[in-house]
Parts: sequence; C-alpha cells; structure tokens
Amino acid sequence: MSELYATAIFLFVLFTLLGGSVWIGLALMGVAWFGMELFTTRPAGDAMITTIWTGSSSWTLTALPLFIWMGEILYRTRLSQDMFRGLAPWMRFLPGGLLHTNIAGCTIFAAVSGSSAATLNMVGKMSIPELRQRGYPEFMIIGTLAGAATLGLMIPPSLTLIVYGVTINESITKLFMAGVFPGLVLAGLFMLYIMFWHFTYKDQRPEPEPTMPLLTRIAESRFLIPLFGLVFVVIGSMYLGYATATEAAAVGVVGALLLSAMQGSLDWTTFKEALMGATKTSAMIAFILMGAAFLSLSMGFTGLPRALAELIDSYNLSPVALIAVLTLFYLILGMFMDGLSSVVLTMAIVEPMIRSAGIDVIWFGIFLVVVIETAQVTPPIGFNLFVLQGMTRHEIGYIAKTAIPMVGLMLLMVVILVIWPELATWLPENIRKGPGG
Amino acid sequence: MRDWQPFLGLPLWVWLFVFPTLLALYCLWQGPKAARLLAPIWKLLDRVYRISGVIAACFMVLILLLIIAQMVARWSSMTFPGSTEYAGYAMAATSFFALAFTLTQGGHIRVSILLNLNQSTKLWLDAAAMLVAAITATYFARYAIKTNIMSQVLNDRTQGQDFVPEWLLTLFAMFANSPTRWEEMWAKTGSDWVYTPVWLPQLPMSIGTVLLAIAIWDYLIRLLSLRETQIQGEVLE
Repeated sequence: MSELYATAIFLFVLFTLLGGSVWIGLALMGVAWFGMELFTTRPAGDAMITTIWTGSSSWTLTALPLFIWMGEILYRTRLSQDMFRGLAPWMRFLPGGLLHTNIAGCTIFAAVSGSSAATLNMVGKMSIPELRQRGYPEFMIIGTLAGAATLGLMIPPSLTLIVYGVTINESITKLFMAGVFPGLVLAGLFMLYIMFWHFTYKDQRPEPEPTMPLLTRIAESRFLIPLFGLVFVVIGSMYLGYATATEAAAVGVVGALLLSAMQGSLDWTTFKEALMGATKTSAMIAFILMGAAFLSLSMGFTGLPRALAELIDSYNLSPVALIAVLTLFYLILGMFMDGLSSVVLTMAIVEPMIRSAGIDVIWFGIFLVVVIETAQVTPPIGFNLFVLQGMTRHEIGYIAKTAIPMVGLMLLMVVILVIWPELATWLPENIRKGPGG
Repeated sequence: MRDWQPFLGLPLWVWLFVFPTLLALYCLWQGPKAARLLAPIWKLLDRVYRISGVIAACFMVLILLLIIAQMVARWSSMTFPGSTEYAGYAMAATSFFALAFTLTQGGHIRVSILLNLNQSTKLWLDAAAMLVAAITATYFARYAIKTNIMSQVLNDRTQGQDFVPEWLLTLFAMFANSPTRWEEMWAKTGSDWVYTPVWLPQLPMSIGTVLLAIAIWDYLIRLLSLRETQIQGEVLE
C-alpha cells in the first residue's frame, strides 16, 4: 500500500510543480528527484547528471538546432511576399481561389521549418492582408490558416518529431518520412474544405482574379523555384539515404543562407538575429529534454509505466480503442500544455503501453503529431490561436470558432490514419540505405 | 541529506539554498533600496548572460562546420574519426551555455494558467515558482560540478574515436592549479593527441548550469525588490 501512497505523492508533486508555473525543464527535474528519493536508494544527483549528460551530448540531437536555424534564416527573408506572389497566379483556377495559397504556402514553408508558429507567422503575414483586400470572408481566411499551419509539424522537418524520436530512441529520418504522406493528405483535406465552401456559399465568393499569361506567372514565381530546390534537396537526400537527418539539416542551413544571400536579405544583422533566435529556441527544447531524460529514468523506478501498461492489458483494449482513449487524453492534456511538453512528459508512460499493444511506434509518432496539433488550435491553450490573435486582433473565441471545421478535419485525419496505417508506414520502410546509414 | 559535506563549518546546502533565500527575503524587505544597491551588479550579470549566449551561438556554428566537414570527408572518401562525438560535445555546449541567456530573454516555457489567473496573486506565485526553480537549478549545478570533478579524478575517457591535443587539456587544467605549478605542467605537455577525457566536454555543463542557477536567483531577487517580473518578453501561453 505504501507503493500506492508514494505514487500519489509523486503525481501530486508533478501537477503542483507544472501547474505552479515552474519552468518545464526544472519542474520535470524536481519531480524526477522526488521519484528517485521516494522509490530508490540510488543517489539521485549523480544518476541525474549521468542521464542528462548522455542525453544532451548525443549526436542524434544535433539535427534539432540546425533545423531550427534553417527555419530562422528563411523566416527573416522576403520569402513571405514571394510566396504569395508566386503561388497566387497558380491557385486562381481552383474553386475557392486564392484561399488555397494559405494551404499551399503552409505546406511549402512546413517543408523548410519545423514549427507551426513560424509557419503561421510566415504565411499569414502576407496572405491575411492580401486576401482581405480581395474580399475573401474573414472566417475562411483565418480558419484555413489556423488549420494549415499545423502542417508545420507534420511535414518534415518537424521539431516535435525530432523530440519524439530522441525520447523513444527511434530513427528521425524514418519519422520524417512517415510524416510526408499524412501531411499531404491533410493538406488535401483542407483544400477540399475550401472547395466545399466555394460551391456551398456562392454569395461569399469574391471577384475572380484577372488572367495572367503563363510567362508572367513563371516570372512571378521565380523566387519559389530555389525554395522548391531546397525542399527537394533536404527531403530527397534523407529519402535516398545520402544523408542522415542531421546532415540534411546542415545542407538545409547552407541552402537557406545561400537563398537569403541571393535575395539580398542576408546581412550581419539578420544573420546574428537568426543565429541567436535559433540558439534560444534550441536551448529551450534541450532544457525540456534534459528534464524529460531524468524524469523517464525516475519514472522507470516508480513502476508507474509498467502498472499502467498492465492495467491497459487487463482491460483487453483493442489497439483501436486504446488509440481512441489516447486521442482523448492528449486532447485534454493539450488544453493545458504545449505540444513538446506533453510529448516528453507522457512518453515514459505511453511508450511501454503502445509497444505492448503492438502499435508501430513510427506510426504512433505521426498520430501523436496530428492529435497534439489539433490541441494547438482548440481553446483554452492553443498556441496557434494566440499567434493568430496577435496577427489579426480578433477575439480568441472568434478565432477558435473559425478553426472548428479544421479540428473536425484533423480528427478525420486520425481516423484515416487508423484505417490506412500504410499512409505513414510505407515511405519509411522504403528508404534507400545509404552510406550514412 | 547525505552527500553534503561541510564547507567553512556549515553544511554545503546551507550555503547553496539557505543563504540565497535569506538574501532574497532581505531584498523583499528592502524593496527599491536593494534595487538601487544591486543595479550595477545586475548590469554586469546581464552582460555575462549575453556573453554566454554568444558562446552558445558559436558552438552552434561549430556543429554546422563539423557536420559539413564530416560530409565532405565522406564524399572524398576520407575519414573524420570521432566527428559524431565532437558534434555531440558541441551540442551539449550550445545547450548549456545558452540556458541562462534563454531564461533572461524569456525563452523557456512554463504552464502559466494559474499565473495569469489574477494580478494580485501573480507576484507571489511567480516568486514561489522561481524559488523552487532556483533550488532545483542549484541542485543541478552542484551535481554537474561534482560529476565533472569525478570524471577528472577517475580519468574517464571517451568511448568513441575522438582525440584532443594535450596542450588543450593543459590549457584548461591550468585554471584548476596554482600558478606555481604551471611551468611544470607545460613542461610535461607533449605534442600528442590523446583520447578525449570526459571532463573537458563536461566543462560547459558545469559553467552553464552554474550560470542558470545564478540567473534564476538573480531574477528572483529582481522580482522581489522591484515587485515586478524583470524577464522581458516572456512567452506566456
């Protein structure tokens, strides 16, 4: 019975520290320390540093700062304007018109950036004023943007997937590849939604755009071509096995620097800002990972993961039922926490559960990203909503309402993933083996 | 409370946890008066955090260069032994050196539902959270230093294929020895490359965690003496 008692104290400390607004990295360390002191006689401090040192000096982790840096460099270029100008002439013909630039823009920027907030900022900065000016309904502009920005974490590179991969010790390249098709399918769902709007609400359609000769169109999108090149090199080199995730990231940083130099937006100030910004974001995530590494060590001693896995076993839940329960669980957790923290906090418990249920961990990573991203566009704590609020000055309630159809589509995506798991698992199984391994 | 040997007659934890807390309480009592007294120190410390952030950024550039070097070596079918270890060390250095800087810039995230609930409780909850954070960070730093020293005492070497020149080791070891021994140390230093001793890449961990602990105590004291958070632009979700 004392075991139960200790577990109760452990959980209480966990929620007190996290809820009491201690920085997440330190809160996790504090909880882990309690766990070590309650459940073992091992010296907590020494075990803590050994774990943290091994975790934070690992080669796998180096993909993280580089991908962040790449995104930061591109974020500071004139890419935002170019993206709209380049995409708009091509999207004109689709039913739903220029609203599709939101989806296409987010998909493209997602392929060079690992964060959904950055994607949102980058695309929205230009598309919101342009679309407003052309008379598209506000509800659709904001809603599609809120939804499409979540692609930032689905389509490689993705910071959440790096963190997930590092936490459960799985290949980041495989996770990245797994995200490609689901990301594209989700983008397709969003586009279908725009077309549905186009045909249903005929009175809301703005004036059609004037036609533009093909050559002008190509000239307008000339800035997008190097960006496409960068995307293909980064993702392609991983797929073909020429480069590991870290090496692809390094190529990405160099490419991003070249691209911004070509545009003439690279000078010492932007270089410095991008570098310092990347250093901060990378340190923020590394700090959470340090806490998480110690917590998962400590969690192992508490017996909590094993007990929960056994409990789930005893209920004889089918994998589908387990996924349904976990979806609900992560949606609720996502109401209080950001995506990264909920991944690192729960993986020590959830990993044994899914492994014993025979669920593919690569597939689960993609599932997790969809669910966590859904939580990012639902109130009360939805980071994407806050970013949009800052950009549009609308009330959070209104923005949340525009995003509701997107939440529906993302939950539909979860169902699609459950029905066709191959969507996520096929590509990673077919990566060519290269010299990098 | 094992493992806390006495220092100047008092257990180490009194020095690390009790005295800074008392200092913070004193600043709470003194308010703006303490702030005036401490202002020059704050300015100096802010510069230290910034420098450490710049060092972190340099290590990030180093990661990039190491990985490019590794790729170039592979394409030209040469080998770059230990490149993954070097990149790992640079990764650790980036993260640890940037910890304090990120904190002061409001870069670390926390759950702030309760914090934003009510303006009157905000200050006290923030102070309590920072006190817990400061104690945890100090504990972190204390064991980082202990592990670092133990790595040196046990002469723990890398498991990988990475080497460092002996002079580099002597350069850093100088700081841990009295100047009278420096001449003798350099005389013994050969021009060989040796397997990396773990204490060397662990130095950033010790320095970074100590700076983090100092930064949190520092900002707790600023919060208490000015009655307002001094962390600029914090992303409160």
